[in-house]
Amino acid sequence: MFRTHNTQKNHWRPNEIEAGVQETNIRSAAVGVMAMRQALKAVLIDLSGTLHIEDTVVSGAPEALSRLRESQLAVKFVTNTTKESKRSLLDRLQRLNFSIQEQEIFTSLTAARSLVEQRSLRPLLLLEDSALEDFTGIETSNPNAVVVGLAPNHFNYQTLNKAFRVVLDGAPLIAVHKARYYKRKDGLALGPGPFVTGLEYATDTHATVVGKPEKTFFLQALRDLNCKPEEAIMIGDDARDDVGGAQNAGLRGILVKTGKYRAGDENKISPLPLATCADFPQAVDYILEQLI
Amino acid sequence: MAERDWKECIKSLKGVVLDMCGVLYDSGEGGGVPIPGSVEAVKRIKASDLQLRFCTNETQATREKFVAKLKRMGFDISVSEVFSPAPAALAILKERNLRPHLLVYDDVLPEFEDIDKTDPNCVVIGDAADKFSYQNLNDAFRVLIQLEKPVLFSLGRGRYYKETDGLKLDVGVYMKALEYACDVEAEVVGKPAPMFFQSALTDMGIQPQEALMIGDDLINDVGGAQNCGMRGLQVRTGKYRPSDERHPTVTADGYVDNLAEAVDIILKYRGQ
Repeated sequence: MFRTHNTQKNHWRPNEIEAGVQETNIRSAAVGVMAMRQALKAVLIDLSGTLHIEDTVVSGAPEALSRLRESQLAVKFVTNTTKESKRSLLDRLQRLNFSIQEQEIFTSLTAARSLVEQRSLRPLLLLEDSALEDFTGIETSNPNAVVVGLAPNHFNYQTLNKAFRVVLDGAPLIAVHKARYYKRKDGLALGPGPFVTGLEYATDTHATVVGKPEKTFFLQALRDLNCKPEEAIMIGDDARDDVGGAQNAGLRGILVKTGKYRAGDENKISPLPLATCADFPQAVDYILEQLI
Repeated sequence: MAERDWKECIKSLKGVVLDMCGVLYDSGEGGGVPIPGSVEAVKRIKASDLQLRFCTNETQATREKFVAKLKRMGFDISVSEVFSPAPAALAILKERNLRPHLLVYDDVLPEFEDIDKTDPNCVVIGDAADKFSYQNLNDAFRVLIQLEKPVLFSLGRGRYYKETDGLKLDVGVYMKALEYACDVEAEVVGKPAPMFFQSALTDMGIQPQEALMIGDDLINDVGGAQNCGMRGLQVRTGKYRPSDERHPTVTADGYVDNLAEAVDIILKYRGQ
Protein backbone atom coordinates (compact mmCIF):
# COMPACT_ATOMS: atom_id res chain seq x y z
CA MET A 1 0.00 0.00 0.00
CA PHE A 2 2.72 2.49 0.90
CA ARG A 3 6.09 2.68 -0.59
CA THR A 4 8.51 4.10 1.91
CA HIS A 5 12.09 4.80 1.05
CA ASN A 6 13.75 3.68 4.25
CA THR A 7 15.89 1.20 2.41
CA GLN A 8 17.70 4.08 0.73
CA LYS A 9 19.73 4.99 3.75
CA ASN A 10 22.02 7.47 2.07
CA HIS A 11 19.08 9.61 1.14
CA TRP A 12 17.11 8.91 4.20
CA ARG A 13 19.47 9.40 7.08
CA PRO A 14 20.16 13.11 6.61
CA ASN A 15 16.45 13.62 7.18
CA GLU A 16 16.62 11.87 10.49
CA ILE A 17 19.53 14.00 11.54
CA GLU A 18 17.58 17.12 10.65
CA ALA A 19 14.63 15.82 12.63
CA GLY A 20 15.95 17.30 15.82
CA VAL A 21 18.33 14.60 16.95
CA GLN A 22 21.69 16.16 16.09
CA GLU A 23 22.52 16.86 19.71
CA THR A 24 22.45 13.18 20.61
CA ASN A 25 24.60 12.39 17.59
CA ILE A 26 22.45 9.38 16.84
CA ARG A 27 23.12 7.79 13.49
CA SER A 28 20.60 4.97 13.81
CA ALA A 29 17.70 5.26 11.43
CA ALA A 30 15.46 3.29 13.77
CA VAL A 31 15.96 5.71 16.63
CA GLY A 32 15.50 8.53 14.16
CA VAL A 33 12.03 7.24 13.31
CA MET A 34 11.13 7.29 16.99
CA ALA A 35 12.36 10.84 17.30
CA MET A 36 10.16 11.75 14.36
CA ARG A 37 7.14 10.04 15.79
CA GLN A 38 7.33 12.12 18.90
CA ALA A 39 7.75 15.31 16.96
CA LEU A 40 4.96 15.49 14.40
CA LYS A 41 2.64 18.43 15.11
CA ALA A 42 1.42 19.75 11.78
CA VAL A 43 0.50 18.67 8.27
CA LEU A 44 0.73 21.01 5.27
CA ILE A 45 -1.49 19.99 2.37
CA ASP A 46 -1.33 21.09 -1.25
CA LEU A 47 -4.69 21.85 -2.88
CA SER A 48 -4.89 21.42 -6.66
CA GLY A 49 -3.79 17.93 -7.71
CA THR A 50 -3.81 16.65 -4.12
CA LEU A 51 -7.32 17.30 -2.72
CA HIS A 52 -9.01 18.00 -6.03
CA ILE A 53 -8.34 18.14 -9.77
CA GLU A 54 -10.14 21.16 -11.14
CA ASP A 55 -13.76 20.63 -9.97
CA THR A 56 -13.40 16.93 -9.21
CA VAL A 57 -12.61 15.83 -5.67
CA VAL A 58 -9.94 13.14 -5.12
CA SER A 59 -11.96 10.12 -4.03
CA GLY A 60 -12.16 9.84 -0.23
CA ALA A 61 -10.22 13.04 0.37
CA PRO A 62 -12.86 14.94 2.45
CA GLU A 63 -13.25 11.93 4.78
CA ALA A 64 -9.50 11.49 5.04
CA LEU A 65 -9.17 15.15 5.99
CA SER A 66 -11.73 14.63 8.78
CA ARG A 67 -9.75 11.62 10.09
CA LEU A 68 -6.60 13.72 10.09
CA ARG A 69 -8.32 16.50 12.04
CA GLU A 70 -9.43 14.02 14.73
CA SER A 71 -5.77 13.22 15.40
CA GLN A 72 -5.09 16.66 16.95
CA LEU A 73 -2.48 17.45 14.28
CA ALA A 74 -2.59 21.04 13.09
CA VAL A 75 -3.53 21.34 9.42
CA LYS A 76 -2.75 24.03 6.89
CA PHE A 77 -3.45 24.22 3.17
CA VAL A 78 -0.65 25.64 1.07
CA THR A 79 -0.74 26.53 -2.61
CA ASN A 80 1.00 28.57 -5.27
CA THR A 81 -1.56 30.87 -6.74
CA THR A 82 -1.17 34.22 -8.39
CA LYS A 83 -4.67 34.84 -9.64
CA GLU A 84 -7.07 33.38 -7.09
CA SER A 85 -7.72 35.09 -3.79
CA LYS A 86 -8.08 33.01 -0.61
CA ARG A 87 -11.80 33.70 -0.70
CA SER A 88 -12.24 32.14 -4.14
CA LEU A 89 -10.09 29.12 -3.22
CA LEU A 90 -12.19 28.62 -0.09
CA ASP A 91 -15.44 28.82 -2.07
CA ARG A 92 -14.29 26.03 -4.34
CA LEU A 93 -13.08 23.77 -1.50
CA GLN A 94 -16.30 24.18 0.44
CA ARG A 95 -18.28 23.41 -2.70
CA LEU A 96 -16.30 20.14 -2.90
CA ASN A 97 -17.31 19.32 0.72
CA PHE A 98 -14.01 19.96 2.45
CA SER A 99 -14.32 21.44 5.91
CA ILE A 100 -11.76 24.24 5.76
CA GLN A 101 -11.49 27.70 7.36
CA GLU A 102 -10.14 30.70 5.49
CA GLN A 103 -7.33 31.23 8.03
CA GLU A 104 -6.08 27.68 7.35
CA ILE A 105 -5.21 28.59 3.77
CA PHE A 106 -1.72 29.90 3.06
CA THR A 107 -0.98 30.90 -0.52
CA SER A 108 1.93 32.48 -2.33
CA LEU A 109 -0.16 35.66 -2.33
CA THR A 110 -0.47 35.44 1.47
CA ALA A 111 3.29 34.97 1.66
CA ALA A 112 3.84 38.02 -0.53
CA ARG A 113 1.50 40.06 1.63
CA SER A 114 3.16 39.06 4.88
CA LEU A 115 6.58 39.89 3.47
CA VAL A 116 5.26 43.30 2.43
CA GLU A 117 3.77 43.86 5.91
CA GLN A 118 6.85 42.65 7.80
CA ARG A 119 9.04 45.08 5.91
CA SER A 120 6.47 47.92 5.84
CA LEU A 121 6.70 48.16 2.06
CA ARG A 122 4.44 50.10 -0.31
CA PRO A 123 4.31 47.78 -3.32
CA LEU A 124 3.58 48.42 -6.96
CA LEU A 125 1.32 45.39 -7.53
CA LEU A 126 1.55 43.63 -10.89
CA LEU A 127 -1.44 41.42 -10.13
CA GLU A 128 -4.76 40.71 -11.78
CA ASP A 129 -7.86 42.17 -10.13
CA SER A 130 -8.90 38.73 -8.85
CA ALA A 131 -5.74 38.58 -6.71
CA LEU A 132 -5.80 42.19 -5.49
CA GLU A 133 -8.42 41.24 -2.89
CA ASP A 134 -5.66 39.60 -0.84
CA PHE A 135 -3.85 42.95 -0.65
CA THR A 136 -6.78 45.00 0.65
CA GLY A 137 -5.57 47.70 3.04
CA ILE A 138 -1.95 47.68 1.86
CA GLU A 139 -0.58 51.16 1.12
CA THR A 140 0.50 51.34 -2.53
CA SER A 141 1.13 55.04 -3.18
CA ASN A 142 4.67 56.18 -3.96
CA PRO A 143 5.86 52.56 -4.27
CA ASN A 144 9.12 51.30 -2.78
CA ALA A 145 8.71 47.64 -3.80
CA VAL A 146 7.40 45.64 -6.76
CA VAL A 147 5.29 42.49 -6.41
CA VAL A 148 4.92 40.40 -9.58
CA GLY A 149 2.25 37.74 -10.00
CA LEU A 150 0.59 36.40 -13.10
CA ALA A 151 -0.74 39.57 -14.64
CA PRO A 152 -1.15 39.44 -18.42
CA ASN A 153 -2.96 42.78 -18.31
CA HIS A 154 0.07 44.43 -16.68
CA PHE A 155 2.83 42.72 -18.64
CA ASN A 156 3.16 45.49 -21.18
CA TYR A 157 5.88 47.97 -22.08
CA GLN A 158 4.60 50.89 -19.99
CA THR A 159 3.94 48.98 -16.78
CA LEU A 160 7.15 46.96 -17.00
CA ASN A 161 9.13 50.19 -17.54
CA LYS A 162 7.50 51.64 -14.45
CA ALA A 163 8.28 48.53 -12.38
CA PHE A 164 11.83 48.53 -13.72
CA ARG A 165 12.48 52.13 -12.62
CA VAL A 166 11.20 51.43 -9.12
CA VAL A 167 13.50 48.39 -8.76
CA LEU A 168 16.47 50.20 -10.32
CA ASP A 169 16.06 52.84 -7.60
CA GLY A 170 16.73 50.11 -5.06
CA ALA A 171 13.24 48.78 -4.29
CA PRO A 172 13.00 45.02 -3.67
CA LEU A 173 11.52 42.81 -6.41
CA ILE A 174 9.15 40.20 -4.99
CA ALA A 175 7.92 37.32 -7.16
CA VAL A 176 4.79 35.44 -6.17
CA HIS A 177 6.39 32.53 -7.98
CA LYS A 178 8.51 31.97 -11.09
CA ALA A 179 6.55 29.50 -13.22
CA ARG A 180 7.68 29.53 -16.85
CA TYR A 181 4.26 28.98 -18.43
CA TYR A 182 0.88 27.47 -17.77
CA LYS A 183 -1.86 25.81 -19.74
CA ARG A 184 -4.80 27.87 -20.88
CA LYS A 185 -7.84 26.73 -22.82
CA ASP A 186 -6.34 28.17 -26.02
CA GLY A 187 -2.87 26.72 -25.46
CA LEU A 188 0.29 27.44 -23.48
CA ALA A 189 0.75 30.91 -22.08
CA LEU A 190 3.65 32.73 -20.40
CA GLY A 191 3.70 32.64 -16.60
CA PRO A 192 5.15 35.27 -14.27
CA GLY A 193 8.65 33.71 -14.32
CA PRO A 194 9.77 35.13 -17.69
CA PHE A 195 8.80 38.68 -16.69
CA VAL A 196 10.47 38.37 -13.28
CA THR A 197 13.60 37.05 -15.00
CA GLY A 198 13.55 39.99 -17.43
CA LEU A 199 13.30 42.52 -14.59
CA GLU A 200 16.07 40.73 -12.70
CA TYR A 201 18.28 41.00 -15.77
CA ALA A 202 17.45 44.68 -16.34
CA THR A 203 18.26 45.66 -12.77
CA ASP A 204 21.01 43.13 -12.02
CA THR A 205 19.17 41.95 -8.90
CA HIS A 206 17.60 38.74 -7.68
CA ALA A 207 13.90 38.64 -6.93
CA THR A 208 12.73 37.35 -3.59
CA VAL A 209 10.51 34.43 -4.60
CA VAL A 210 7.84 33.79 -1.99
CA GLY A 211 5.92 30.77 -3.31
CA LYS A 212 6.76 27.07 -3.26
CA PRO A 213 9.44 25.66 -3.43
CA GLU A 214 11.10 28.47 -1.46
CA LYS A 215 12.18 27.65 2.07
CA THR A 216 10.65 30.84 3.48
CA PHE A 217 7.24 29.86 2.11
CA PHE A 218 7.12 26.71 4.23
CA LEU A 219 8.56 28.45 7.29
CA GLN A 220 5.98 31.25 7.03
CA ALA A 221 3.16 28.74 6.65
CA LEU A 222 4.24 27.14 9.94
CA ARG A 223 4.76 30.40 11.82
CA ASP A 224 1.36 30.79 13.46
CA LEU A 225 1.17 27.04 14.20
CA ASN A 226 4.05 27.43 16.65
CA CYS A 227 5.71 24.44 15.06
CA LYS A 228 9.29 23.80 14.04
CA PRO A 229 10.01 22.55 10.49
CA GLU A 230 11.08 19.13 11.72
CA GLU A 231 7.72 18.78 13.47
CA ALA A 232 5.78 19.17 10.22
CA ILE A 233 5.09 17.15 7.08
CA MET A 234 3.98 18.26 3.61
CA ILE A 235 1.66 16.28 1.31
CA GLY A 236 1.61 17.20 -2.37
CA ASP A 237 1.58 15.99 -5.98
CA ASP A 238 4.57 18.08 -7.16
CA ALA A 239 7.83 16.28 -6.36
CA ARG A 240 9.99 19.36 -6.76
CA ASP A 241 7.81 22.21 -5.50
CA ASP A 242 5.88 20.43 -2.74
CA VAL A 243 8.03 17.58 -1.47
CA GLY A 244 11.51 18.76 -2.46
CA GLY A 245 10.79 22.30 -1.28
CA ALA A 246 9.41 21.12 2.07
CA GLN A 247 12.31 18.74 2.67
CA ASN A 248 14.82 21.49 1.84
CA ALA A 249 13.14 23.64 4.48
CA GLY A 250 13.54 20.87 7.09
CA LEU A 251 10.03 19.42 6.90
CA ARG A 252 9.29 15.88 5.82
CA GLY A 253 7.41 15.24 2.57
CA ILE A 254 4.95 12.75 1.14
CA LEU A 255 4.37 12.58 -2.61
CA VAL A 256 0.92 11.55 -3.86
CA LYS A 257 0.41 9.95 -7.27
CA THR A 258 -2.48 12.19 -8.34
CA GLY A 259 -2.70 15.52 -10.19
CA LYS A 260 0.47 16.35 -12.08
CA TYR A 261 2.33 13.25 -10.80
CA ARG A 262 4.15 11.37 -13.58
CA ALA A 263 5.69 7.89 -13.17
CA GLY A 264 9.18 8.16 -11.69
CA ASP A 265 8.70 11.65 -10.19
CA GLU A 266 9.58 10.31 -6.73
CA ASN A 267 13.14 9.58 -7.94
CA LYS A 268 13.68 13.08 -9.30
CA ILE A 269 14.47 14.74 -5.99
CA SER A 270 17.22 14.22 -3.47
CA PRO A 271 16.67 13.34 -0.70
CA LEU A 272 13.82 11.11 -1.84
CA PRO A 273 10.32 11.68 -0.47
CA LEU A 274 9.80 10.16 2.98
CA ALA A 275 6.97 8.19 1.34
CA THR A 276 5.11 7.98 -1.93
CA CYS A 277 1.39 7.17 -1.64
CA ALA A 278 -1.31 6.44 -4.17
CA ASP A 279 -3.42 9.40 -3.11
CA PHE A 280 -4.28 11.77 -0.25
CA PRO A 281 -6.35 9.24 1.79
CA GLN A 282 -3.44 6.78 1.75
CA ALA A 283 -1.04 9.54 2.77
CA VAL A 284 -3.28 10.32 5.75
CA ASP A 285 -3.38 6.62 6.73
CA TYR A 286 0.41 6.50 6.49
CA ILE A 287 0.74 9.46 8.85
CA LEU A 288 -1.80 8.12 11.33
CA GLU A 289 -0.35 4.60 11.35
CA GLN A 290 3.37 5.30 11.05
CA LEU A 291 4.13 8.76 12.33
CA ILE A 292 2.06 9.30 15.50
CA MET B 1 45.77 53.43 -13.42
CA ALA B 2 43.28 52.32 -16.06
CA GLU B 3 43.07 55.92 -17.20
CA ARG B 4 46.82 56.16 -17.82
CA ASP B 5 46.59 52.92 -19.82
CA TRP B 6 44.09 54.22 -22.32
CA LYS B 7 45.97 57.47 -22.81
CA GLU B 8 49.16 55.52 -23.49
CA CYS B 9 47.44 53.59 -26.25
CA ILE B 10 46.23 56.73 -28.03
CA LYS B 11 49.38 57.17 -30.10
CA SER B 12 49.04 53.69 -31.66
CA LEU B 13 45.35 54.10 -32.48
CA LYS B 14 44.24 53.74 -36.08
CA GLY B 15 40.49 53.78 -35.67
CA VAL B 16 37.63 54.76 -33.40
CA VAL B 17 34.26 53.02 -33.10
CA LEU B 18 31.41 55.05 -31.66
CA ASP B 19 28.19 53.90 -30.11
CA MET B 20 25.40 56.24 -31.16
CA CYS B 21 22.45 56.52 -28.77
CA GLY B 22 23.69 58.02 -25.50
CA VAL B 23 27.00 59.10 -27.05
CA LEU B 24 25.93 61.20 -30.05
CA TYR B 25 22.38 61.97 -28.93
CA ASP B 26 19.70 61.22 -26.35
CA SER B 27 16.67 59.57 -27.90
CA GLY B 28 13.09 60.44 -27.09
CA GLU B 29 9.99 62.14 -28.41
CA GLY B 30 10.59 63.80 -31.77
CA GLY B 31 13.65 61.65 -32.52
CA GLY B 32 15.93 62.94 -29.80
CA VAL B 33 18.48 65.70 -29.24
CA PRO B 34 22.25 65.83 -29.85
CA ILE B 35 24.46 65.65 -26.76
CA PRO B 36 26.30 69.02 -26.54
CA GLY B 37 29.67 68.93 -28.31
CA SER B 38 29.07 65.61 -30.09
CA VAL B 39 28.33 66.98 -33.57
CA GLU B 40 31.61 68.90 -33.43
CA ALA B 41 33.48 65.90 -31.94
CA VAL B 42 32.52 63.65 -34.88
CA LYS B 43 33.71 66.33 -37.32
CA ARG B 44 37.05 66.57 -35.49
CA ILE B 45 37.68 62.79 -35.65
CA LYS B 46 36.85 62.80 -39.34
CA ALA B 47 39.30 65.67 -39.92
CA SER B 48 42.05 63.70 -38.13
CA ASP B 49 44.06 60.73 -39.45
CA LEU B 50 41.84 58.27 -37.53
CA GLN B 51 39.26 56.06 -39.19
CA LEU B 52 35.74 56.20 -37.82
CA ARG B 53 32.85 53.71 -37.74
CA PHE B 54 29.60 53.55 -35.82
CA CYS B 55 28.29 50.41 -34.08
CA THR B 56 24.71 50.66 -32.92
CA ASN B 57 22.15 48.25 -31.58
CA GLU B 58 19.46 50.56 -32.91
CA THR B 59 16.60 48.43 -34.20
CA GLN B 60 13.73 50.89 -34.25
CA ALA B 61 14.33 52.05 -37.81
CA THR B 62 16.04 50.93 -40.98
CA ARG B 63 19.66 52.00 -41.24
CA GLU B 64 18.77 54.51 -43.96
CA LYS B 65 16.09 56.25 -41.88
CA PHE B 66 18.26 56.19 -38.81
CA VAL B 67 21.20 57.84 -40.57
CA ALA B 68 18.85 60.43 -42.10
CA LYS B 69 17.67 61.31 -38.59
CA LEU B 70 21.24 61.85 -37.39
CA LYS B 71 22.03 64.00 -40.41
CA ARG B 72 19.05 66.18 -39.53
CA MET B 73 20.59 66.61 -36.06
CA GLY B 74 23.72 67.90 -37.79
CA PHE B 75 25.96 64.81 -37.73
CA ASP B 76 28.37 64.15 -40.61
CA ILE B 77 27.61 60.47 -41.14
CA SER B 78 26.83 58.05 -43.99
CA VAL B 79 25.02 54.70 -44.16
CA SER B 80 28.16 52.77 -45.12
CA GLU B 81 29.84 53.82 -41.85
CA VAL B 82 27.06 52.41 -39.67
CA PHE B 83 26.87 48.80 -38.43
CA SER B 84 23.47 47.76 -37.07
CA PRO B 85 21.99 44.37 -36.10
CA ALA B 86 19.07 44.01 -38.52
CA PRO B 87 21.12 43.74 -41.74
CA ALA B 88 23.52 41.37 -39.92
CA ALA B 89 20.59 39.17 -38.78
CA LEU B 90 19.12 39.10 -42.27
CA ALA B 91 22.42 37.77 -43.62
CA ILE B 92 22.43 34.97 -41.01
CA LEU B 93 18.81 34.00 -41.69
CA LYS B 94 19.48 33.74 -45.42
CA GLU B 95 22.66 31.77 -44.89
CA ARG B 96 20.87 29.24 -42.66
CA ASN B 97 17.63 29.12 -44.65
CA LEU B 98 15.51 30.20 -41.68
CA ARG B 99 12.00 31.63 -41.81
CA PRO B 100 11.59 34.12 -38.99
CA HIS B 101 8.68 35.09 -36.79
CA LEU B 102 9.50 38.77 -36.22
CA LEU B 103 8.94 40.59 -32.95
CA VAL B 104 10.50 43.90 -33.94
CA TYR B 105 9.54 47.55 -34.21
CA ASP B 106 7.32 48.26 -37.23
CA ASP B 107 9.80 50.76 -38.70
CA VAL B 108 12.53 48.10 -38.99
CA LEU B 109 10.31 45.59 -40.84
CA PRO B 110 11.44 46.82 -44.30
CA GLU B 111 14.91 45.37 -43.55
CA PHE B 112 13.26 41.90 -43.58
CA GLU B 113 10.96 42.54 -46.53
CA ASP B 114 12.35 39.96 -48.92
CA ILE B 115 12.60 36.91 -46.64
CA ASP B 116 10.04 34.09 -46.37
CA LYS B 117 8.14 34.39 -43.10
CA THR B 118 5.55 31.63 -43.59
CA ASP B 119 5.48 28.68 -41.17
CA PRO B 120 8.26 30.22 -39.05
CA ASN B 121 11.08 28.07 -37.67
CA CYS B 122 12.83 30.70 -35.57
CA VAL B 123 12.08 33.95 -33.74
CA VAL B 124 13.89 37.27 -34.21
CA ILE B 125 13.37 39.71 -31.38
CA GLY B 126 14.41 43.36 -31.55
CA ASP B 127 13.62 46.43 -29.47
CA ALA B 128 9.92 46.50 -30.25
CA ALA B 129 9.35 49.19 -27.56
CA ASP B 130 5.65 49.89 -27.07
CA LYS B 131 4.88 46.97 -29.36
CA PHE B 132 6.03 44.67 -26.52
CA SER B 133 2.80 43.33 -25.06
CA TYR B 134 1.83 40.10 -23.33
CA GLN B 135 0.04 39.03 -26.50
CA ASN B 136 3.02 39.67 -28.80
CA LEU B 137 5.47 37.96 -26.46
CA ASN B 138 3.10 35.03 -26.07
CA ASP B 139 2.87 34.69 -29.86
CA ALA B 140 6.67 34.52 -30.07
CA PHE B 141 6.76 32.07 -27.14
CA ARG B 142 4.28 29.74 -28.85
CA VAL B 143 6.34 29.68 -32.04
CA LEU B 144 9.43 28.74 -30.02
CA ILE B 145 7.87 26.18 -27.68
CA GLN B 146 6.40 24.11 -30.51
CA LEU B 147 9.80 23.82 -32.24
CA GLU B 148 11.79 20.70 -31.51
CA LYS B 149 14.87 22.85 -31.01
CA PRO B 150 13.85 26.48 -30.48
CA VAL B 151 16.03 29.05 -32.27
CA LEU B 152 15.92 32.60 -30.92
CA PHE B 153 17.87 35.55 -32.33
CA SER B 154 18.11 38.75 -30.35
CA LEU B 155 19.12 42.03 -31.97
CA GLY B 156 21.37 43.13 -29.11
CA ARG B 157 20.97 42.19 -25.47
CA GLY B 158 20.91 45.62 -23.78
CA ARG B 159 19.21 46.00 -20.42
CA TYR B 160 17.89 49.53 -20.75
CA TYR B 161 18.55 52.88 -22.37
CA LYS B 162 17.75 56.47 -21.66
CA GLU B 163 15.13 58.48 -23.46
CA THR B 164 14.41 62.13 -22.76
CA ASP B 165 11.50 61.09 -20.49
CA GLY B 166 13.44 58.45 -18.55
CA LEU B 167 15.02 54.99 -18.68
CA LYS B 168 13.35 52.35 -20.89
CA LEU B 169 13.73 48.56 -20.93
CA ASP B 170 15.75 47.29 -23.87
CA VAL B 171 15.45 44.12 -25.95
CA GLY B 172 17.68 42.06 -23.62
CA VAL B 173 14.96 41.99 -21.00
CA TYR B 174 12.43 40.43 -23.36
CA MET B 175 15.13 38.13 -24.74
CA LYS B 176 15.76 36.89 -21.18
CA ALA B 177 12.03 36.37 -20.66
CA LEU B 178 11.78 34.14 -23.74
CA GLU B 179 15.02 32.34 -22.87
CA TYR B 180 13.66 31.50 -19.43
CA ALA B 181 10.23 30.47 -20.73
CA CYS B 182 11.61 28.10 -23.37
CA ASP B 183 14.85 27.10 -21.65
CA VAL B 184 16.95 28.23 -24.62
CA GLU B 185 19.89 30.55 -25.10
CA ALA B 186 19.41 33.30 -27.67
CA GLU B 187 21.97 33.97 -30.38
CA VAL B 188 22.81 37.64 -30.03
CA VAL B 189 23.29 39.66 -33.21
CA GLY B 190 24.77 43.09 -32.49
CA LYS B 191 26.77 44.30 -29.50
CA PRO B 192 28.26 42.66 -27.41
CA ALA B 193 28.79 39.79 -29.89
CA PRO B 194 32.50 39.83 -30.92
CA MET B 195 31.52 39.10 -34.55
CA PHE B 196 29.69 42.40 -34.69
CA PHE B 197 32.66 44.51 -33.57
CA GLN B 198 34.92 42.48 -35.82
CA SER B 199 32.86 43.39 -38.88
CA ALA B 200 33.54 47.09 -38.22
CA LEU B 201 37.27 46.40 -37.69
CA THR B 202 37.48 44.36 -40.89
CA ASP B 203 35.80 47.20 -42.75
CA MET B 204 38.52 49.58 -41.49
CA GLY B 205 41.25 47.02 -42.17
CA ILE B 206 42.74 47.32 -38.67
CA GLN B 207 43.49 45.06 -35.71
CA PRO B 208 41.44 45.14 -32.46
CA GLN B 209 44.35 46.56 -30.42
CA GLU B 210 44.50 49.50 -32.86
CA ALA B 211 40.90 50.48 -32.16
CA LEU B 212 39.06 52.29 -29.38
CA MET B 213 35.35 51.85 -28.66
CA ILE B 214 33.50 54.73 -27.02
CA GLY B 215 30.09 54.02 -25.54
CA ASP B 216 27.69 54.73 -22.68
CA ASP B 217 26.86 51.06 -22.03
CA LEU B 218 29.46 49.46 -19.78
CA ILE B 219 28.51 45.87 -20.57
CA ASN B 220 27.63 45.96 -24.25
CA ASP B 221 29.91 48.72 -25.57
CA VAL B 222 32.90 48.66 -23.24
CA GLY B 223 32.86 45.02 -22.12
CA GLY B 224 31.93 43.76 -25.59
CA ALA B 225 34.77 45.72 -27.24
CA GLN B 226 37.27 44.57 -24.59
CA ASN B 227 36.29 40.93 -25.17
CA CYS B 228 37.08 41.50 -28.81
CA GLY B 229 40.60 42.84 -27.97
CA MET B 230 39.77 46.54 -28.33
CA ARG B 231 40.05 49.27 -25.69
CA GLY B 232 36.76 50.51 -24.28
CA LEU B 233 36.03 54.00 -22.99
CA GLN B 234 32.83 54.89 -21.16
CA VAL B 235 31.20 58.32 -21.47
CA ARG B 236 29.27 59.76 -18.53
CA THR B 237 26.27 60.51 -20.76
CA GLY B 238 23.24 58.51 -21.86
CA LYS B 239 22.54 55.52 -19.66
CA TYR B 240 25.76 55.95 -17.64
CA ARG B 241 25.27 55.52 -13.90
CA PRO B 242 27.95 56.32 -11.28
CA SER B 243 27.79 52.72 -10.02
CA ASP B 244 29.17 51.61 -13.44
CA GLU B 245 32.61 52.78 -12.24
CA ARG B 246 32.48 50.19 -9.43
CA HIS B 247 31.14 47.29 -11.52
CA PRO B 248 32.33 43.90 -10.22
CA THR B 249 33.30 42.35 -13.57
CA VAL B 250 33.72 45.08 -16.21
CA THR B 251 36.14 47.98 -15.83
CA ALA B 252 36.45 50.51 -18.64
CA ASP B 253 39.91 51.48 -19.84
CA GLY B 254 38.88 55.03 -19.02
CA TYR B 255 35.95 57.32 -18.24
CA VAL B 256 35.24 60.71 -19.78
CA ASP B 257 32.43 63.17 -19.20
CA ASN B 258 31.26 63.07 -22.81
CA LEU B 259 32.38 62.40 -26.38
CA ALA B 260 33.75 65.95 -26.74
CA GLU B 261 36.13 65.39 -23.82
CA ALA B 262 37.23 62.02 -25.24
CA VAL B 263 38.06 63.61 -28.58
CA ASP B 264 39.88 66.51 -26.88
CA ILE B 265 42.14 64.04 -25.04
CA ILE B 266 42.69 61.79 -28.07
CA LEU B 267 43.65 64.63 -30.38
CA LYS B 268 45.83 66.32 -27.73
CA TYR B 269 47.84 63.11 -27.13
CA ARG B 270 48.24 62.63 -30.87
CA GLY B 271 49.53 66.21 -31.13
CA GLN B 272 46.73 67.29 -33.44
